[in-house]
Parts: sequence; structure tokens; C-alpha cells
Amino acid sequence: MRNSAPPLVLDGVTKRFGSRTAVDQVSLQIEEGEIFALLGPNGAGKTTLISCVTGLARATSGRIEVFGHDVVRAYRTTRRLVGLVPQEINFDPFFTPRESLLNQMGFMGCPPDPEWVDTLLKTFALYDRREAYTRSLSGGMKRRLLVAKALVHRPRLLFLDEPTAGVDVQLRQDLWTEVLRLKREGTTIILTTHYLEEAQQLADRIGMIRDGRLLVVDDRANLMNRHHEAAKVRLTLAGPLSRVPEGIQGVLSTPTELEAAWHTPEELERVIARVRYHVDIVDLQVRQVTLEDVFLQMMAPGQHGPAADSSPGASS
Amino acid sequence: MRGWNGVAAATLLRKEVRRFTKVWLQTVLSPLVTTSLYFLVFGVALGSRLRTVDGVPYVNYVVPGLVMLAMISNSFLNSSSSLFQSKVNGTYVDLLVAPLGAQEMLYAYAVAALIRGHLVAVMVWAVAVTFIGFELSHPAWTLFFSVAVCLTFGALGLVVAIWAEKFDQLAVVPNFVLTPLTFLGGVFYSVDMLPSPWNAVSAANPMLYMVNGLRFGIIGISDVPVLRCAAVVLPCAVAANLAAWALLRSGTKFRT
Repeated sequence: MRNSAPPLVLDGVTKRFGSRTAVDQVSLQIEEGEIFALLGPNGAGKTTLISCVTGLARATSGRIEVFGHDVVRAYRTTRRLVGLVPQEINFDPFFTPRESLLNQMGFMGCPPDPEWVDTLLKTFALYDRREAYTRSLSGGMKRRLLVAKALVHRPRLLFLDEPTAGVDVQLRQDLWTEVLRLKREGTTIILTTHYLEEAQQLADRIGMIRDGRLLVVDDRANLMNRHHEAAKVRLTLAGPLSRVPEGIQGVLSTPTELEAAWHTPEELERVIARVRYHVDIVDLQVRQVTLEDVFLQMMAPGQHGPAADSSPGASS
Repeated sequence: MRGWNGVAAATLLRKEVRRFTKVWLQTVLSPLVTTSLYFLVFGVALGSRLRTVDGVPYVNYVVPGLVMLAMISNSFLNSSSSLFQSKVNGTYVDLLVAPLGAQEMLYAYAVAALIRGHLVAVMVWAVAVTFIGFELSHPAWTLFFSVAVCLTFGALGLVVAIWAEKFDQLAVVPNFVLTPLTFLGGVFYSVDMLPSPWNAVSAANPMLYMVNGLRFGIIGISDVPVLRCAAVVLPCAVAANLAAWALLRSGTKFRT
């Protein structure tokens, strides 16, 4: 019977390596069935945090619970519930993809289920190479095998640690299609990626981490709205303007090029109307706020992120 | 020790056995050929020029020592190379994320080492039997020493694999510790044949008790009383397995 405890609760989790603090007092709650993107630059502490949950590392202090079970005291229970696609490709050169999946299934404590293994091999387009040695697989195939291995015990909480690093566009699309299918089936997913557009498209909520500290956690829409001031419209004018028309926040990069800021669609319409009052518009380029804008702003030196967070159960 | 994941333990054991059987030329045939050559050269060819040792023909005398040599090196190499390779190629992650305790890991690696050690040893012995005929004086003692020694070196292999950072370090122990100590432990001679003080120095070598324990089991003679051999071998097995278990449990050099 499924319990109602959240898939993951982190409470004041800290991980130190000697004098270096890799994860610093991180508190976070993940909701069942969501896709949560954990973003941050290299060395921010994303993988270390994931490692503390999955058993690859031990937190120095703090509490980590998976579906209400402590990851240290009840590690046998929590590891059965968690799947991990690690950042680094690993493979056992002695075994075939099929054997690797059956081995992993056994390690996770599940009796062999060749039918399910074959389903996974087909899902990840590895069935034709099921009896080949894994060392002979391409990089993309090895990456897909990692994902299949992480799913072989049907985890309820799945960590994807940069699963699309170095893979081609088609594979990325296939992988995200599969991730969305898993989400529909109720799997909770936590992913890290450097492809921010992927996080923007997929994630229900986003957390940003820098220097081991969780700077912000919010849902995607709120996060984008918070930083809406970054939206711009670039207007190419039919004739020159001597100055920016009154009521418009913007700059003239040339007498016929105006870049103006806008916050709401109504304001954008107003900006366009005011400019057209003075001169015709030849071309118009609207640049929406992207997650990358938000990310860069959050990661800028001296930026400590919003002090408060709108998400329940989350704090920085 | 909390819990026992039987499915995981059985899977890891099966995987470890399959690992060495998949490369049987290297893991089974190669040591069989090497040890059989020792037997043919030192036992059959040179042995015919030597007299008996403790009333036993020399060729018969060397067989238990060579069987023990095969057991020690193969059980050690099986666990050490497997765990070290998983450290190098990153597949140890598969074990760390699994609901797998130190006891299951120790069981699987040590028993796989025992199986490879016995497989090669039995084949070496079978080669010898074709020359000298079948002889097994004390089956129970033979089994006791063979099992205890394989479990000892299977566990020591894990300890060394955990400690080693590179392949060189992995090779140090078999090349500079195990093989010399085994050779000096009376594989080819009786310690009574050594001049003083070397016969006394040999008494500090645990391999002496392993070789002589198995020699007593197979051909019924030993330089050391069999109970004293057992009194050394059993604590060695327990200590090696406890050390390996403690290291696996602590996650030393694996779990950060």
C-alpha cells in the first residue's frame, strides 16, 4: 500500500568534504508526481545532493526522507523506491545489455522478470543489441542502457543527473518523451540539466543551487514572472527618431532601432502604439523571458536569490 | 547486521561467477597451465631425482602445496580484480544505489572467490592424480582448509581492491606478498629441511599452516600438527572477513 508521505524531504542537509562545503543547509520538499528541475552551474552541489539521497554519499548533517523513510536508517526501503541515472556513463564490459538489466534487477531485490527487461530494451531501442557486449554499444546506446537500468525496479522517485549530456537531438527528444510518460504513470522525477530550455519545457518546479545553497524554489511560471522585467521588444523603424517616445522604457541603439522593455502583453501593445504614433514600424522582434535569463540573473555574483519562497515546504 | 537481501546476494554471486567463467581462458585455464607446469617441472621431472620427504615420494609431497597455491592466488585475484574493475569502470554505482548491505556483498564476492579457487584447485589436483593416482587421507580436513583459505583470500582481495587506487597497487599484494609467502610456506619443501633460524622464522608465516593443513588433509602428513594449523587458519579467515565487512560497511573509498 502506498503511503502519503512526500517522495522526498530534505531538512537542513549539509555535506562537507574536509573544509569544503558542497551542500549547505538545503531544505526542500518534492511533491508526488512532479518533475522538479535542479539547476546550477558545474560544482554547485547538484550531484552531491543527489548522491546523498541515492546512497552514493552520506550527508554530514540534516535529514533526508524518501516517502517517509530515512535514507540512512531505512536504506533498504528507500533505495528500492529510488532510481538513479548517473551523470557518468558506466558499463560492465563482461555483460550484455540484457544481462546488465537482469543483474541490476536482482541487485535491487527484484526477482528476474525477463518480460519486463525485454520491454525496457524495446522502449529504449536496445532490443536488437540485447546480446551484444555493452562495450560495443555506441555512446547513445550506453546512455539509454543507463536509463533502462534505473527503471528496471520500477522506482517511484527517479533522479536523472544530466541524462542528455552529450547526446544527439533525437535521443534527447526520445528521452523526454519517455520521462513525460513516466510522469503520467505517477513517477516523481528530479532532473539536473545544463540545457535550460529542457527544464523550461518539462519541469513543474525549478530549484536553483549555487555554492551548495538552494537559492530559489518555485514553479516554472512564477519563476518566469518574477523576472518578467527582462522581456524586450526590438523595433526597426521606417524613419529615424531623435529620442525615445515618452512613456516608453527603452534605448535607441541607432536612430531607426529601438529596444523597449515590457512587462505585460497590454504594455507591449501600448509601446507599439506609441511608437507608431511617431513613425511606422518595419520589423518587430519580441524576446520573451527565458529560463536562461532567470538562471543567469540568479547565478550572477552577489545575487543571493529571493529571501522568501512561494513554494510550500521549500526554503533556501 | 541489519537484514539480508537474498535476491541481491544471489544475483551478485551469480554475476561474479559468470564474470570469471566468461573469461575462462584467463581465469581458469591460464592458472591451471601455470600450476600444472610447476607440478611437471618440480614434481615429476626434478622430483624423480629427489628422495622422499617424510616417507612420501617428492612428487606426491608437492601436490597439496601447488593446489594451495592455486587456491590462494585464484581466490584473491577473483575478488580483487572484480571489485577494482567495478571501481575503475564506475559500475560500483550499481551496487551502492541498491538495497544491498555489506554482508551480502561480502558473501557474494567471497563465495565467488571460493568457487574459482576450488575450480582451479580441483583441476590442478586432477592433473596431478593422472600422474600419481588418487589419494585423499582426510576429506573433512581438506574441505575445512580449502574453504577457510579461499574465504580468507577472497576477503583479502576485497580489502586490497578497496585500498588500491591503481592497477600497480593491485598487483603488489599477489606479486610481493602472497606468492613469496606461499613459496616460503613449504610448497616445495618441508620446514624441517630449512637450517636454523629459518625454520623458526617460517613459523611466523601463516601460509605454512595453510599449506601443511591441506597437505595433512590430502596425503596425511604435515610439518605442523593439524590442530595448530586450524588454530591459525580459522582466525585468519575470521579476521580477513571481518576486515572486509567493516570496510564495505563503512563505504571506505566508495561512498563519499
